[in-house]
Amino acid sequence: MNECYGCNTCKSADKPLESFIAGLPMETSHHRVDSQSTKCGFGLQGVCCRLCANGPCRITPKSPRGICGANADTIVVRNLLRAVASGSGCYIHVVENTALNVKNIAKTKGEIKGVETLKRLADIFGIQESDVHKCAEAVADAVLKDLYLPEYEKMELTEKLSYGPRYEKWKELGILPGGAKSEVFHGVVKCSTNLNSDPVNMLLDCLKLGISTGIHGLVLTNLLNDVVLGEPEIRTAPVGLRVIDPDYINIMITGHQHSMFTFLQDRLIADDVKEKAKKAGAKGFKLVGCTCVGQDLQLRGAHYTEVFDGHAGNNYTSEAILATGGIDAVISEFNCTLPGIEPICDELKIKQICIDNVAKKANAELKEFDFENRAAVTEEIIDEIVEAYKARRGSVTMNLMKDHGNDNTLTGVSEVSLKKFLGGSWQPLIDLIVSGDIKGVAGVVGCSNLTAGGHDVLSVDLVKELIARDIIVLTAGCSSGGIENCGLMVPEAAKYAGPKLRAVCEKLGIPPVLNFGPCLAIGRLEIVATELAEALKVDLPQLPLVLSAAQWLEEQALADGCYGLALGLPLHLGLPPFVTGSPVAVQVLTEDMKKLTGGHVIINSDAKESADILEKIIEEKRQGLNI
Amino acid sequence: MRYVIIGAGVAGIEAAKTIRKNDSAGEILLVSADTHVHSRCMLHKYIAGERDEQGLDFSERDFFEKYAVEWKKGVRVEKVCPDAKEIALEGGEKISYDKLLLAGGADSFIPPVGELRSASNVCGLRNLSDAQMIVKEAETAENVLVIGSGLVGLDAAYGLLERGKKITIVEMADQILPVQLDAHGAAAYQELFEKAGVRFVLGRKASEAVCEADGKIHKVILDNGDELACDLLIVAAGVRPALACLEGSGIECDRGVTVDASMKTSKEDIYAAGDITGLSGIWPNATDQGHVAGANMSGAASQYTDTYAVKNTINFFGLVTLCVGKIREEEGDQVQIKEDRTQYKRVILRDGKVEGVLLQGDISNAGIWQYLIKNKIQVDGIHKDIFDISYADFYQVKENGEYQWA
Amino acid sequence: MKRIMIDHEKCDGCKSCSIACMQAHRETEGTVYDLDLTDPQNESRNYILKDADGHYKPLFCRHCDEPKCAEACMSGALSKDPESGHVFYDETRCGSCFMCVMNCPYGVLKPDTVSRTKVIKCDFCVNAGGEPSCVAACPKQAIYVEEV
Repeated sequence: MNECYGCNTCKSADKPLESFIAGLPMETSHHRVDSQSTKCGFGLQGVCCRLCANGPCRITPKSPRGICGANADTIVVRNLLRAVASGSGCYIHVVENTALNVKNIAKTKGEIKGVETLKRLADIFGIQESDVHKCAEAVADAVLKDLYLPEYEKMELTEKLSYGPRYEKWKELGILPGGAKSEVFHGVVKCSTNLNSDPVNMLLDCLKLGISTGIHGLVLTNLLNDVVLGEPEIRTAPVGLRVIDPDYINIMITGHQHSMFTFLQDRLIADDVKEKAKKAGAKGFKLVGCTCVGQDLQLRGAHYTEVFDGHAGNNYTSEAILATGGIDAVISEFNCTLPGIEPICDELKIKQICIDNVAKKANAELKEFDFENRAAVTEEIIDEIVEAYKARRGSVTMNLMKDHGNDNTLTGVSEVSLKKFLGGSWQPLIDLIVSGDIKGVAGVVGCSNLTAGGHDVLSVDLVKELIARDIIVLTAGCSSGGIENCGLMVPEAAKYAGPKLRAVCEKLGIPPVLNFGPCLAIGRLEIVATELAEALKVDLPQLPLVLSAAQWLEEQALADGCYGLALGLPLHLGLPPFVTGSPVAVQVLTEDMKKLTGGHVIINSDAKESADILEKIIEEKRQGLNI
Repeated sequence: MRYVIIGAGVAGIEAAKTIRKNDSAGEILLVSADTHVHSRCMLHKYIAGERDEQGLDFSERDFFEKYAVEWKKGVRVEKVCPDAKEIALEGGEKISYDKLLLAGGADSFIPPVGELRSASNVCGLRNLSDAQMIVKEAETAENVLVIGSGLVGLDAAYGLLERGKKITIVEMADQILPVQLDAHGAAAYQELFEKAGVRFVLGRKASEAVCEADGKIHKVILDNGDELACDLLIVAAGVRPALACLEGSGIECDRGVTVDASMKTSKEDIYAAGDITGLSGIWPNATDQGHVAGANMSGAASQYTDTYAVKNTINFFGLVTLCVGKIREEEGDQVQIKEDRTQYKRVILRDGKVEGVLLQGDISNAGIWQYLIKNKIQVDGIHKDIFDISYADFYQVKENGEYQWA
Repeated sequence: MKRIMIDHEKCDGCKSCSIACMQAHRETEGTVYDLDLTDPQNESRNYILKDADGHYKPLFCRHCDEPKCAEACMSGALSKDPESGHVFYDETRCGSCFMCVMNCPYGVLKPDTVSRTKVIKCDFCVNAGGEPSCVAACPKQAIYVEEV
């Protein structure tokens, strides 16, 4: 026998990572997939109800209703609405904190790095204010005001930030959201015990939550972050476990709230702080990117070249990143910070610090982000990390993976930087789509999970299938982390594309897969889609554009998915969201939704079949546009 | 009808039970040198002092009364006379039979090295009497030398460890358990035994052993000239079918007594089962042979068909191993290995079929491997990791609810 | 004899049978609410397997007409009870050789996880009056007892 923790690890699209994890002496989530492989069929179908003391009730041929009388449709959609409300709450929490941080930075005359974005937001919001700080505060206030409206008052920014034809459609369907926080409250009330039993009524609430999640949670979080952290600039950067440089004190960051790191990022490269690192025997400090906040930092990496080492991997790479031994501390502020990192941190003496109590890990020290006392708290955090570094280095074995990933992943893609890259107009892209050199656009977004074929397996396979069909892929979310580590975002990846797309990529020197960054950037994809639709004078459902959350993982992804459906887009999922036990839910999501919003759900876990379906949809949309 | 069974091992006991099921009136007489019905596979537990003689009994409670079997114990059979349809016991008593079962097992093989065969402190580990002698000798012996590191040699050492003896094991091969395991799997047991204080001398054999004045061997010289001191010698170098009483009987023998599929020998009304046939040294096969012989002796037709015998399980120090089929790969074989801190799994495949498996550390639900191997089941069409293959991939339920292989 | 019959197409993989089995064979007092699902001492004697296509295949001891496990038992611990027809296991007699594990052609048996001294095997809930707990717990009637 050897030292490996267990030999039954799941597959990964990232083969070097797969063998690295299989050889680890500690347990990771990849090890646990096997022993969790027999899933409860009731759970999978969403027909287990634990909402009251009579439960759990499960739907079977002999018991088609729970004790209360709820049938499969009610049980399933109630469970779905709970998940969507919860997922929406997560993003609304993120945008609320982000807006507060912008407001605080503005009030204290902090640096406004994204003046262009601020101007753009002020224009959209109708704010006329020449002082950047006052303007930024007004923008943040406008967002906060919307978030805090009651459920019965519609949010004001929805109309300003949405595409006209869409807004009209939402109004017609009666799904314009009230205050975003109140909508979460409303959703949670609605799906509690013995309240709503109407599946269609609850599905409409899911769409409403999708809209508030998308416009406020996603679109605005990106733009507010750009205001204080800087706008994305296209460049290439290293990715993968190779980015870990053991000569530095390394801090892995996880979460979704980039604005919480504003102050720390700057302090870590200040001379007095670097001196602390040098005294401890290191060259300085480095942030190692992980999960979406790592993607955010990568996206804005042009502004952080000194402190940021690169994005190492997505949620299900986090355990491997830590297992290298090269990380000295983890600072987390949100998901996807897996509970499974805790024993690894304990074993490898990695300091865990949590700066937002909603994501407090069991063995982490809670040092809540406190804008007023940010200077003192930040120093405390830095000192503790230096201590951890001194205590662990030398006594912990290094197991680095120097050749993992690549050095030239294209990053910094946003709705603004891409347009700039194309010469300031979408016309070149539209021309390529019209000519068929680019058959269509697929947003492969969302998370990474371990069950749709394995770690990033379906996402990566699907991307390969799509680009081979000349469909350009735009990504956002943890899927990006896997796809980039597998080498599909380097310019040389053009060779995996179909002949037409390949020629386009080679001419422009870009990969066939463009990384927009974190899951929040699904909001940026929506802006791109809207601007394309505007240019073509059509509504979103008419575009040759499809979405896939092939390896969706979390409740947040379901809220994002509802946004995609509200936008009227075809949405592919690798695994069903625990709804297949309800004939009504399946009918509405996969068919009737086409008549409601224009969107619909496609569930398929086979990469080739999924790509065939998505390609066919794109071709139909092209025909609809006569191109 | 008088049935006479020689031997109280599992073949003899199983035959008696089967005969009684088919013939409630016949007379069944069982003759054995053994004075206790006992499981040879548990003798180490007797040596360790974990179990007494009764604790080794594998038969049903009150077996002889329940099945009305007369038992002459502690008696050796001198001669079998097919023409007279009788057997002769030591001391001269003759017993006639209508049907006779030879199930006298096998004897430890003591190699003709030096005076191993004549010394008074040398024994095998085959019968309860061997274990009894070992326990008695161990009262005074300090150094124990075990020749052979197969399952029997390790059993002996395992039992004696409980008694705090200094144990050395000499093995001809370069690894322990050479018949059952590959070198890697064997190393795991070697380490456990060494941790417990056992010393191994591998790749060596005894070349000289001389009795001293007390009639005992006190040192053994190895083929490289090294000397090993010993007070007690346990020889675990295999067994040979116990054929001595068949001399002159005309019953056809090869390595063991030759039998057909109904376990009948070359002589009318004489059957053989268990280790005496030399067909296998494996318990389930002996059970099956006893059952088949008993059935045919008492008029029910039955055939010994499940003859596969390259299989074993090992459990020392809580480390369990299952090994079935081929252990050493040949050219053209495909080997797959999985290993972690709790288990070592190794399978040999050829042409999409499993030829051998070794599972160490975790043998949970591993029963299907024997079936896959002995029946040469094609497994390359199953789109699973080879080690994830289970009965689910062959699942069939009969009308009576039993499972069934396709 | 009575046998637990299996209609595998009805199985939903909820493992209620496994939990019921663990509860029926736990050594401590208590109800299913406080059954420690993380204690390796609490082992189920039945398993829900999956074939390569992901279909559930319940693996339950058949108490075979000709039990291969009992045939391999060198201690007398495993024997087929002539009255009930069930194959019972006497832990006190077991020699922990695990030849039974090797000899069950369907892979139903396993050594206990904690001590590796005994075999984990269905006893038809004989201590609970011979009404198998797994059968009572199945919400789909995918397993049921029949006289065969």
